[in-house]
Amino acid sequence: MQDSAIRRLLEFDSQVQRDSDQSPAFLHRRDRRFALDCRDRGLSPAPELWLEHVRRLRPPLPTRNPLRRWRQLTTGFALVGLMTGFMAMLGLLFYDGGQRINLTVILAFVMLQCLLAAITTVQAFAGWQPWQWLLRKLDRSSSAGPLRPLQPMLMARAAHTGGLMLGLAGLLTLLVLVVVQDLAFGWSTTLDTGSGSYYQLLATLATPWQNLWPAAFPDRELVDATRFFRSGAENAQDPALWGRWWPFVAMIWVTYVILPRLVLLMLASIHTGMRARRELARHPGMIALQYRMETPALDTGNLHNDAADQPDTNTAGQPQPLPAGQVLICWAGAGEPELPDTLATGYSSILAAGGNVSLEHDNHVIQNARQVLAANPSPAALIVTRSWEPPTGELADFLREARASWPPTTLIALVPMAAEPEQLPPHHQVNQWLRFADRTGDSRIVVSTPDMASPEARIHRALQDEHRP
Amino acid sequence: MTAPVFAVVGHPNKGKSSIVATLSQNDAIAIALEPGTTRQRQEYPLTVDGKTLYTLVDTPGFQRPRRALEWLEAHSIAASDRAETVQAFIVQHRGDNGFTDECELLTPLTEGAGIIYVVDGSVPYSAQHEAEMTILRWTGRPSLALINSIGDDDYSDTWAQALGQFFQVVRKFNAVSAPFEQHLSLLRAFGQLEPEWEQPLEQATAFLQAQRRQRRAQAAALIARTLEDMMSFREKRTLTSLQTSELSDEELARQLRTSWYDNQRKREQHLRIAIERLYEHHRVERQEAELEWHSEHDLFSEDSRKAWGVNRRYLATAGFGAGAVGGAGVDAVALGHSLGAGALVGGLIGAAGSYFYGDRLTLPVLNTGVLTNGLRTATFGPVQDSQFGYVVLGRAINHWWHISHRNHAGRELLDLAPADNHWLEHLDRANRQIIHRALERCRKQRALDDKTRMALTAAIEQAMGAYDDWRLNRT
Repeated sequence: MQDSAIRRLLEFDSQVQRDSDQSPAFLHRRDRRFALDCRDRGLSPAPELWLEHVRRLRPPLPTRNPLRRWRQLTTGFALVGLMTGFMAMLGLLFYDGGQRINLTVILAFVMLQCLLAAITTVQAFAGWQPWQWLLRKLDRSSSAGPLRPLQPMLMARAAHTGGLMLGLAGLLTLLVLVVVQDLAFGWSTTLDTGSGSYYQLLATLATPWQNLWPAAFPDRELVDATRFFRSGAENAQDPALWGRWWPFVAMIWVTYVILPRLVLLMLASIHTGMRARRELARHPGMIALQYRMETPALDTGNLHNDAADQPDTNTAGQPQPLPAGQVLICWAGAGEPELPDTLATGYSSILAAGGNVSLEHDNHVIQNARQVLAANPSPAALIVTRSWEPPTGELADFLREARASWPPTTLIALVPMAAEPEQLPPHHQVNQWLRFADRTGDSRIVVSTPDMASPEARIHRALQDEHRP
Repeated sequence: MTAPVFAVVGHPNKGKSSIVATLSQNDAIAIALEPGTTRQRQEYPLTVDGKTLYTLVDTPGFQRPRRALEWLEAHSIAASDRAETVQAFIVQHRGDNGFTDECELLTPLTEGAGIIYVVDGSVPYSAQHEAEMTILRWTGRPSLALINSIGDDDYSDTWAQALGQFFQVVRKFNAVSAPFEQHLSLLRAFGQLEPEWEQPLEQATAFLQAQRRQRRAQAAALIARTLEDMMSFREKRTLTSLQTSELSDEELARQLRTSWYDNQRKREQHLRIAIERLYEHHRVERQEAELEWHSEHDLFSEDSRKAWGVNRRYLATAGFGAGAVGGAGVDAVALGHSLGAGALVGGLIGAAGSYFYGDRLTLPVLNTGVLTNGLRTATFGPVQDSQFGYVVLGRAINHWWHISHRNHAGRELLDLAPADNHWLEHLDRANRQIIHRALERCRKQRALDDKTRMALTAAIEQAMGAYDDWRLNRT
């Protein structure tokens, strides 16, 4: 039995089911890689090759063969066919010595077999499944799965196998009975027909083997001589004539029962294979596979993963009150175009560092501030920054150099200012300055976020200025 | 020809990593509102069958640009030696803690990378970054300035005007919200920086477009499969005779119903994760995972039903189509002697059935089998309401839409708010009928064949298109 196409379909479907939980990106890579390997080897990436490739790379799977059920069904049909063939021939050739075996009955049975074989095939081609309820009862899974569209063909194959077995069993039974019994064939019909037309019918039916086996071709005399009637007294004729029919019976059985079944069984097998190939080609998984094999695998560079490598954004630091400073430095353009009064009041000169000014200028600023701070018993410097600009290495360098130059007790307050100076900077922006101050490891570097809009801060600052020496 | 490399550079904390995350579709890149999150340069190549078409390089921000520029100026005689001086700077300061970040970001530029200079357009323009821009100009590499927007304010026009003096091309690109078409447009702009970069970037955008189309088709197939599973799902339990006697029918129904609902929710979550993975989103935090969401927009809540279900008129129309197809079979058998009456009658029956019964949230039925060999089987489901299918479909497509439009730089919570419109009515009639027939088939526990499954997938893909159009006000 040629089942390779069906097996391929089943294996493919099973692989598609296994792949259903895989990520599409992985499947694309796997299949595109296979297609590229095939191209390098000058091969076409056919489904057989793909299955072989997948099979080779996976551990052996537990065997679950859905075809087994069909094989059991076919075997069942074959056994029933053997039994039925044997019984049918025994029935047809029943002869108790008192009456003839009627050829007309045998012809009718043979034609019935022919008709049944034809109906089975037509049914398979049309896709009718009047027996489907039975299958569903036997196996609930039969209504789904890749074998579903093949059911009519598989059923036809099983039925034709049964029919072939019936034919073979019948032929064997006939030959055995011919040897062990003295069979007396005759023909009889109630219809008003002459031996001429009956002969014509038989001769037409026997045309296929006319030249092959002339002895099995009926002759007119035999037809004339072997007609019998239920109440006739023709027993006086030559009894040897009654037995001369068996080659004809054997040949009509072979030609109209066995051969059609054999041919249709082969046709059903071919049809099943063709349909299985068609189903494989139309399988949704095959369409997806072809696409994956034909389309280049795209990797957008998403393999790198440092999502867990996030900076520690926790800080224990808190903004401190604005100290009474003697020096005010605007860092990298902060406070442009104008500093709010809250900050600027009381400072004779406002210094600028960072940003676009030169490093040399930064040094001058540090030195100028040193002179002011050194003259004060509680020195404090304010460095106004843009809250949204992150603190950089340049500011860290500036603070380090300032710390080295200024009196050691100098309190340095970083004042991050929002884009709208009247508003407080957002929390996340203040936090980055708090963390920056923490990282310097200098307890005299603090962060202050005064409320620029509040007059209280200004009054407080003014009071401080009055008491400033 | 070597593939073009683009180094994404700039001041710290201006969204360089966000740009790279979105363009490389990588949501696993560390992004934080903290300077110094990126400490080393990292390459993100776009490859097609293993062949690199371009590479994006994420770099740390400038920390000491004035000091670096001072060094460069001190070691250069003429404009012609500037690129070489930058190279010498890297050689001189490699391993030097003071210029680690500068070395990291300048290295790809000295190796031939194009410059993608990123600024934050949501903060006021500042002329204080000139040292950075001067250093970049010293490398002599083709450059493009990108105005990203981290905050809500918009100063991008001022930035664009100022940056135009330093850079060949200036583009605005919001890494979190830019639609996919803008990603492609930006990549094409990268390709314009050098004549030989145009072709690989054009190829890359074509592949990215094809990938997006394919992802949509794959998402439709995933939704179709889930819809089929959920519509035909049955919760089954086998009880011994002792258990049967101990458990009342009400209690059994309650247990089975709870289990049935849990399974349906799990299946829906499974679909969500599959679609997120399809679009390379591996870290999405959804609002629906919250308890609050469960009470308000749960799969089985009346709110969900109102938002995602379809109205009676819709059901009747779809039912008429489905019934007419069945009735047409009668006409076919009668070889047309019925003059199409079969289709008409079938359609009317289908429409009436859908109109009167389809809009009821009929709970799945409990079935208890007879006691056989001391065992009794109880089943719950499948759901007897085709509206359930529309609710699942609507929610799935809504989730797909949010995911497919979500950029990989996005880290915010995904809030799956229900829609306030029966968007499915924008879908054409033929596709509506395909969906309706498939849902009805599943409800009746009739397995879908491959052909129907493919038709359902195609109809869902069309529905996704209709939803997209509706969301973007294109209808």
